[in-house]
Amino acid sequence: MNRALAIAFVILAPLVVLFTAGDNQFLVFIVGITLIHMLLASGLNLLYGYTGLIPLTYAGIAGISAYATANLSMFGGLSFWLALPLGSLLAAAVGVLLSLPAIRLRGFYFALSGLVIQSAMSIAFVYFPRYTNGDTGIASIPRPTLFGAALPSPWIECLLGVFVIAVVGVVWLIMRSRFGASLIAIREDEDLARALGVSVTLNRTVSFAIASFIAGIGGGLYAYYVGFVSPRAFDVLVSLNIWLMAAMGGRATLVGPLLGALILAPLPFFLQQYTWLKDVIYGLAIILVTMYLPSGIYGYLLKRRARS
Amino acid sequence: MDEFLLLTVSVITSGLLVGTIFSVVAAGLSLIHGTILLPQAANGQVFLGAGLLFWLFGTTFEWPLWVAVPLTFLAVAAFAFATERLVLRHFYPLKDRNISYLIITLGLAQILSGVYTGTFGKMTDTFQIVPPVTGFLVLEPFPISNARAIAFALAALVLVGLIVFLRMHRIGRALRAVFQNRDVARLRGINTPRIYRFAFLLGTMVTTAGGILYALAYALDLSVGWTMSLITFAIMIVGGPGSIVGALCVGLVFGFTQAIVSVIADPTIATFAYLLAMLAMLFVRPSGLFAR
Amino acid sequence: MSGDILLDAKGVSKRFGGLKALSDVSVTQRRGELIGMIGPNGSGKSTFVNVVTGALRRDTGEIRLDGLDLGALPQHKMARAGIARTFQAVRIFETLTVRDNVLNGLLGHAVSTTEGEERMAAALARVGLKVDPDASASGLGLYDRRRLEFATRLVARPKLIMLDEPVGGLNPEEIRAMIALIQSLRQEFGIFIIEHTMKVITSLADRVVVLVNGNKLMDDTPQAVLKDKAVIETYLGTGHA
Repeated sequence: MNRALAIAFVILAPLVVLFTAGDNQFLVFIVGITLIHMLLASGLNLLYGYTGLIPLTYAGIAGISAYATANLSMFGGLSFWLALPLGSLLAAAVGVLLSLPAIRLRGFYFALSGLVIQSAMSIAFVYFPRYTNGDTGIASIPRPTLFGAALPSPWIECLLGVFVIAVVGVVWLIMRSRFGASLIAIREDEDLARALGVSVTLNRTVSFAIASFIAGIGGGLYAYYVGFVSPRAFDVLVSLNIWLMAAMGGRATLVGPLLGALILAPLPFFLQQYTWLKDVIYGLAIILVTMYLPSGIYGYLLKRRARS
Repeated sequence: MDEFLLLTVSVITSGLLVGTIFSVVAAGLSLIHGTILLPQAANGQVFLGAGLLFWLFGTTFEWPLWVAVPLTFLAVAAFAFATERLVLRHFYPLKDRNISYLIITLGLAQILSGVYTGTFGKMTDTFQIVPPVTGFLVLEPFPISNARAIAFALAALVLVGLIVFLRMHRIGRALRAVFQNRDVARLRGINTPRIYRFAFLLGTMVTTAGGILYALAYALDLSVGWTMSLITFAIMIVGGPGSIVGALCVGLVFGFTQAIVSVIADPTIATFAYLLAMLAMLFVRPSGLFAR
Repeated sequence: MSGDILLDAKGVSKRFGGLKALSDVSVTQRRGELIGMIGPNGSGKSTFVNVVTGALRRDTGEIRLDGLDLGALPQHKMARAGIARTFQAVRIFETLTVRDNVLNGLLGHAVSTTEGEERMAAALARVGLKVDPDASASGLGLYDRRRLEFATRLVARPKLIMLDEPVGGLNPEEIRAMIALIQSLRQEFGIFIIEHTMKVITSLADRVVVLVNGNKLMDDTPQAVLKDKAVIETYLGTGHA
């Protein structure tokens, strides 16, 4: 029950800010971006926390959905409610394709292959301008509509919150299922899992499909919410920083990625003209978490409570 | 004059120069990864940092070469020493440390790229040094800039020196012993943590040399760091971690690819090709072409 | 009668590069029979288990379990077909609880949650492991680990369990207890043991297969094997008694 409270608290925190912010557009926008990162980090946690893989392709997969939804709605004339699932499905398909290296490569080599593929995707986003408009990116993507009218703030942020809750719910259901237990078994000892009758490839591929679908939802929501997509928004550092949110909050927990996103996502907005400091702070956090807090803030708290 | 011939010669000379500089930076990376199992993702940022410092000391402060170059090496060495002491050494006992190292050095790369943006990025967009030598070397009938010819000669010297050091010198042999078989090396009484520290410093210094030489030949911009990281990772994986000869051969091939592609199309296509080559190699033979 | 035969491995060979790890090994295990496989280090015992359980793909040969040709099934399907194995160095999920370790034994099998819980408790009782099921497996001693590993296999009710050196590292008292445990299970499960401790083999096995350099040297009763000169030489030669 404690966990449910923690989740509720972490998700409600930005929403409280939302309704007390009033006319402060800036704060409202930060809330929206934080919620999108909560969703993305929760999806990545499925791969990193539960399946034990570091998917450095994650931002690229989200980007594919972002570009796809932007294209579908602006040039294909589809509504948000149709474009988003289609873009996410495309992301899931690409994610399954990109999970192929995981059949052969483990640990470091898998992460490295992700780094390579992500870099190739970033280049592709710039060099296939027909669908991406190259370096400039696609601007003025219309906001989602509901009953024929564009959804205004703060209702659009509430919609994002609903998506976050849905994703957390899906991850929670997975973790209670045999599928989730299989993923953890594979993460802990792949050979043993296989010897116990677990199909490693199948489970891993399915986890990639689901996580990529979630990445796709995140990417699509980002496109609609920010109204602008460019290659920068989906490069390798973005993958790394979404990983940092999941890792710093606490891998393999439901609260962790939400907490990590809550702490890290708003940060760049408060640095004003010193945005470059964001890279320094995030980079330092990556090093510190890897060195001293491998189970993340929430994981650390859980351990401390277990000991006392 | 025959335009085709001119083009051919320009491709050959720029391929050689770019290729040897690629090889130098990749050799630094390969030395570090081959010995410590440390995939230095920030190696490209170290390369860029060396070039930027050289530019700052030599061109902005107008200090003479004999001050600017040693000071650049010293500054990067201090950074490498601190990194080893504060961060890297904590992971030496871990068996699967390469994954932690990849993440940590990606973090380091992010820090460095942020720092460059906040400091150098405020000064200018491209960093062109005032060349210490001017004029052209004329290989009848083709003129080659003296600065580039010197950069090429020095880069080749660094590589040859490194190969000779690894084969001849006592410490160099100990390094080779570690990347051939780290367990046997430990049994033979080689002090691995010390060798690791030495390898990291040496590799970083080799990369620094690459950065200075690149700055001598070409203008830098802040995106070069990531590109160089990717290219040299590709060279290392294809050539085989720990193999300097592998880095040299593959580096030259990549350099020529870059030079040829630049003539007919966008050089980014060359980067695409490197990434594909690396991915293919990861699948087929992660230990690389030149592994024992 | 084939209905009588549990495991039928015919002409199994496996090469590693130039090294022949198994040459044309055939083993037949009847229902209710306990087979022991002995041989010096590197004789191919573990390779045989790896091949039969599908962890390694065999080069040639046929494997039938309970009359069913297992063909070239991947390892997890072999496990689902009813072949379980333990490892020479105990393999359990260190970070998980005792309960989750045992329940993971059912991941490949369609068993309901309530039945799973019942089977889990039964399996733990069966191996005599009286620890808190919610405790972490990492805190267990070697003997308890071995029993936990055993329980994770029993819970899926396999037809055949292949034990890779089940008493390795145990003290004499624990060895006796382990032998008694295996003895108590043989009615219910087909058991195949590889060992180089002769004592375990002689007190448990109905039939002993001797493997040397990947070749089957003998296949007979423990008494006959113990008397055989070639076997004694092989063992004395490598320093195992």
